[in-house]
Amino acid sequence: MIQFQDFSFQYREGVAPVLRDITLAIPDGCFCGITGAAGSGKSTLTYAINGIIPHCYPGDFYGSVTVEGLDTVEASLTDLSALVGSVCQDIDSQMVSAVVEDEILYGLENFGVPKEEIPGRVHEALAAMGIIELLNRPIDSLSGGQKQKVALASIIALRPKALVLDEPTAELDPASSEAVFRLLARYARENGTTVVVVEQKIALLSEYADLLVIVDDGQIRFADAPETVLAHSDELLALGVNCPRSTTLVNRLKGAGLYNGPAVRNVAAATDVCREVLAGAGA
Amino acid sequence: MAKFLEYVPGTSFLHRMNPSVKLICAVILAIACFCTTNLAFLALLFVAALALAASCHMMRETVGLCKGVLAFSVILAAVILLTTPRGAQLVPLPWGFIGTGSLLAALTVIIRLMTASIPLFLVFYVTKMSDITNSAVKQLHVPYKYAFTFTSTVHFIPVFMNNMAGIMEAQTARGVEFDGSLVKKVRLMVPLCVPLLVSSVRKTNSAAIAAEVRGFHLRTRDSGFKQYPLAARDYIALAVSVAILVVAIVL
Repeated sequence: MIQFQDFSFQYREGVAPVLRDITLAIPDGCFCGITGAAGSGKSTLTYAINGIIPHCYPGDFYGSVTVEGLDTVEASLTDLSALVGSVCQDIDSQMVSAVVEDEILYGLENFGVPKEEIPGRVHEALAAMGIIELLNRPIDSLSGGQKQKVALASIIALRPKALVLDEPTAELDPASSEAVFRLLARYARENGTTVVVVEQKIALLSEYADLLVIVDDGQIRFADAPETVLAHSDELLALGVNCPRSTTLVNRLKGAGLYNGPAVRNVAAATDVCREVLAGAGA
Repeated sequence: MAKFLEYVPGTSFLHRMNPSVKLICAVILAIACFCTTNLAFLALLFVAALALAASCHMMRETVGLCKGVLAFSVILAAVILLTTPRGAQLVPLPWGFIGTGSLLAALTVIIRLMTASIPLFLVFYVTKMSDITNSAVKQLHVPYKYAFTFTSTVHFIPVFMNNMAGIMEAQTARGVEFDGSLVKKVRLMVPLCVPLLVSSVRKTNSAAIAAEVRGFHLRTRDSGFKQYPLAARDYIALAVSVAILVVAIVL
């Protein structure tokens, strides 16, 4: 369980708090998507989970953030990183090795995983991301999507209780973005891992997330199941979050009194709703 | 052709050598080059270094290195020519002369620098940086922090070069013309150092955080998964390198 309790944070060099009065509980095994306009405080929210704030970026920290009962201020960054695996936005900066195998080994070696266990962990992580064939490839020769998968595999190999990803598909095309989310969701489901992902592509988040969090100006505006949050498409648009058009269409149908069900996450569900509405109109 | 300091896979003798031994041998050979003034011996070492490069299919890269070193060493050679009047006089100068000895000394500097740089250059191309780090930590007892700092520095050189190329491309798209004299090019590039520095600091900071959240501080000398046993070829290479050093000192 990741628990924010009345959490506020202001960077040391900042003039105002980046996050204010955050209270949020992310249950174990939950796939939590965080989105919001640029500069709303999404990344800072994830830094609070993996301990980057206040350990790397100091500032005024109010309230508490706990991961599996461990207070992120009191625990060391090393203790927290055994629980929380993090993938940063800038993948090239994250890579410390020249070859994929060494990149996966890096964390395993640091955390002192028994040597007889390491080959199995490497294979398992690469298999989970579907990139076993990349084992001996130089990292410089990989595409953006492949690097993203390698970065995820290097974290997954550590078997953290939670994964925190900051815009993992920022440099990927739609197909690669979808592939990364699909692999991530499957891994989280199979292993009961909590996933917290910051992402601008709300269509992807609404498709895969169990809990959708909308951050605006340092505060949480919505934190609920995607269907519930997406029902507020007009309010979300005012906050700078552009809902999928299929969702907006169904919400408009609902506003016009033509449909009375929950908000939809994707085009397939919207198509079913439209069919239902048209069938009702025909009758 | 491999990118700057990018690992080139292979199965050559040099590829299969122990990383620490490779590094030690390269340093010994470099020292040997500076211990001798015998031009014939240096030329022999130069040919041997080229043969070593050919054995691991790195001739093109090595020729590129030699060109780079030549450009630098020619400046040194010119200084030596003009300031070391030795041997039979060939060209009189107001402050002395250029002699046959001056020519030999200048040539020796050029050959020495090229020969000394080739083995070190090859080691970085035929060995994974992580192997150099892990082996240095395990076998040479180099503290991991220093080994990691060194490999990270080397790892980031191409990243920063790409950044600079990106910034220059962006400026070219805005009408800046980098073609022309060296002075003009340098004058245009100086202001670009600020954005490069900013992005470099940001990347370095991200890399440090990424390493920390993957247990960097937990690393010990025994953490490395891979073992680097010494084989007969390593002892042979070490013996040959030491012998070359001894000959260089004696000659």
